[in-house]
Amino acid sequence: MILDAHGHLGPWPDFLIPDQSAEGMVALMDRLGVDAVGISHLVAVGAGAEEGNRLAFAAAERHPGRFGVWQVYNPHQRNPLAASGVWGVKLHPDVHRCALDDPRYDPVWELGLPVLAHGQTDSPWSDPERFVTVARRHPQVPLLLGHAGLWPHGFARAAALVRDHPNVHLEICGSRMTGRWVARLAAAIGADRVVYGSDACFLDLRIGFGRVALAPLTDADRALVLGGNLARVLRAAGVLPEGHLP
Amino acid sequence: MPYPVVDAHRLIGPIPFDDLPEDPRPDMARLGIGRAYVTHSLSLHSDARAGNEALLALDDPRLVPVPVLLPDPPGPRWSGAGPTGAGWSGAGPTGAGPFGCEAGRDVPMVRLCPARHRFDLTGPSALRALAALGVPAALDLDETTPAQLLALARELPGQRVLLLNPGYRRLRAIAELMAALPNLWLEIGTVNTQRGVEWLARRFGAERLVFGTGAPVMDDCGPRFLLDHLDLPEADIALIASGGGLL
Repeated sequence: MILDAHGHLGPWPDFLIPDQSAEGMVALMDRLGVDAVGISHLVAVGAGAEEGNRLAFAAAERHPGRFGVWQVYNPHQRNPLAASGVWGVKLHPDVHRCALDDPRYDPVWELGLPVLAHGQTDSPWSDPERFVTVARRHPQVPLLLGHAGLWPHGFARAAALVRDHPNVHLEICGSRMTGRWVARLAAAIGADRVVYGSDACFLDLRIGFGRVALAPLTDADRALVLGGNLARVLRAAGVLPEGHLP
Repeated sequence: MPYPVVDAHRLIGPIPFDDLPEDPRPDMARLGIGRAYVTHSLSLHSDARAGNEALLALDDPRLVPVPVLLPDPPGPRWSGAGPTGAGWSGAGPTGAGPFGCEAGRDVPMVRLCPARHRFDLTGPSALRALAALGVPAALDLDETTPAQLLALARELPGQRVLLLNPGYRRLRAIAELMAALPNLWLEIGTVNTQRGVEWLARRFGAERLVFGTGAPVMDDCGPRFLLDHLDLPEADIALIASGGGLL
C-alpha cells in the first residue's frame, strides 16, 4: 500500500502551479501506483478554511477512496470540524501565525484525530520543539511533523527531538529534502517513524514519490515509509478501517 | 528508458555544512547517471583557484569540469575559444589564467557566482572574461536577477547561459526570461511544482531544458525519477536527459 500523507489541491497566491487539479493528481497517482493521498485544499490553508475544506470534501467525493481529507483548522476563523470521514486535521501555524502549542488550537486536540502540521525549523510558529510540547500534553493525538522541519540543517534535530515521543512521526515532503536525508532519518529515528508525503500539487507528486523510491533504503524500510507507517497510524485512530481505503 | 543521462549540475569535493559524499560517482552509478558536469566545492565555498586546480586534475570521462570563473585574474589574458570550447594557450610568468590556476585543458562551461564572490555580472571584467572564453556560463538564479540576465544578453548577445536552481516559485519570471532570451537554458532539478517541467516544455521546447540536480546538496533521487516519468514524448525526454540543445 502506498499512502501519501501530504497533498494539496487548488491554487496558491505566491506562485504559479501549472496543475492544481484533483483529476491531474489522480492521473499521476494511477501512473505511480499511489493508492491514496491525504489532501488539504490550499484555499483552506489560505484565507478560507471552511470553503477550502468543502472543496477538499468535494474532491474526495468525486474520487472515492483516492483522497483522504486533512480538514484545515484556522484558529482565527474557528471553523467547524468534522469528527469523522476524514483522515484528520491539518494545521499551518506559519500561514495562520498561531504557534502550534497555542491554546487556540485546543478544539483540535480535544477532537483527538490525527494531525498533520506544518513544521519549520527555527520558525516562531512551528519549530519542532513545539511538536514536543504538544506531544507531551496530548500523547493520545497522533502528530505528523510536516516537512521534518523543512530545512536540512534542522532534519537531524527534528528527529532527535521527537525520538522519545512515539505519537510523533516525521513526514518528509519538501523542496529541500533529499533521498539521502530520507535514509538518514530512517536510520536516526527508525523507519517506522518516517512517513512519505509529496506536498503535491504544491510540489510534483513524481518528485516526492521518486525521492523515496530511489532513496538508499532497504525494501522493507521503503515499504514502511511509503505507506505501512501511515496505514498503522490511521487504523489506530480509527480513520482507516482494516482492508479499506478512505 | 534507454537514453543516456547527463547531470548538468553536480558538485565534487567536501561540503562545509553537511556530511555529504565528496565523490559523486557512486551515486551517479546507483541512479543511472552516466556523466556529470561538476564544479569543485572548494571553488564555491573556499578558494576558487584551489578548487579549479583540483577539478582540472580529474581524469575521468564521466566527470566534465565546470570551473568557477572569477573575472579579472592576474596574469595574461585568455586567448580565446577552440572548436571544443575554451583553451588556455599559454601562461605568462605568473602562471595564472581566468580560473586562478594554470588550466591545462579545455572546458565546455564555466560557473559564475557573482553574488557569493562579490563581482558584477555585467561589469567590464566579467564581460571581458566571458567574451574571451566563449563558452556557456552556468549560474544560480539566486546569484543574479532577471534584470541582470537581460542586461548580460544586451551586452553579449551570443552568450549562452544555463540557469541553475531556478526553484519552483518563479515560473512566471522564468518564462518571461526564456521568452526574451533565446540563449537561456534552464536546469530542471528544482522545477518541482506539479507538472512544471511539462508546462515549460510546451512553451519553450525540450531543447531549452537541461537535466541537472545540484547533488549532493540538492536532491537527485526525485529529479531522476521525474525524468523517467515526464509526460512528454520520448525524444523530448532523451533530449532533456542529454543536456537539451546546450550540452
